Amino acid sequence: MKNLIVIAYLVYVPVIVLLTFYVAHSLFRNSLVYMKDIFNGRDEIAVATNTLFKIGFYLLNLGFGLYILEITRHLDTPQVAIEALSVKIGGFSIYLGVMLFLNLYLFFRGKRIAKQKRLAAQFIAQPNIPNIPQV
Amino acid sequence: MNYNILAYIIYAVITMYVIYWVGRLFHRNGRVFILQLFHHHEAQTDATNNIILIAYYLFNTGYAIVQFSNWQPVLTIPTLIASIAGKTGLLVSILAVTHYFNMALIYILSKRILHYSS
Repeated sequence: MKNLIVIAYLVYVPVIVLLTFYVAHSLFRNSLVYMKDIFNGRDEIAVATNTLFKIGFYLLNLGFGLYILEITRHLDTPQVAIEALSVKIGGFSIYLGVMLFLNLYLFFRGKRIAKQKRLAAQFIAQPNIPNIPQV
Repeated sequence: MNYNILAYIIYAVITMYVIYWVGRLFHRNGRVFILQLFHHHEAQTDATNNIILIAYYLFNTGYAIVQFSNWQPVLTIPTLIASIAGKTGLLVSILAVTHYFNMALIYILSKRILHYSS
């Protein structure tokens, strides 16, 4: 029954494309705030970095999703087809979640380092201890 | 028509489009970083950027075309879809890994330049 496997592929591809698109869209619409914070008001470079991260995210996830497309199991009944698809789509979804957290980690790390640099620059420019409120 | 030739045509169209589109985006967004690395020399930046774009196109279209040589025999429609998706996925994954490597390189280089100039 070769029709079933074609149907499974035709279900799988739109699902991974839509999933990747949705995750990338919601992640990188919000990450612009971090980027502007990291690059300290240099908007041009912040937008460029954001776009580059976005392209990387799309490439990595769509590439991996297409690479694991091939179903080697023999699809005889619709039940087997749904089970095979569940492994593929569920696995891809978990992978996408891991990638999301990886990118989020990169943003938070960049933010932390930018903050440290800013504090260091402030300290070099004005080495006196800032007035810490006495508790 | 032979399924193999059909697979080559579909694969070529998809990968060429992806390579062209991604290259254009990199060309547009990477300019700021090269500008920073070259200390805001505009002419030098644009020249380097264009040469890098051409090198990128050459490498990637070359890799895509070389894939025709070791393509599995395609006899059925499922094999057609699976082989095209597998090859395209591998190419796009390589592109992604190279892209992350390049971003790390830009980060390290810009840090070093800032370190020396200050």
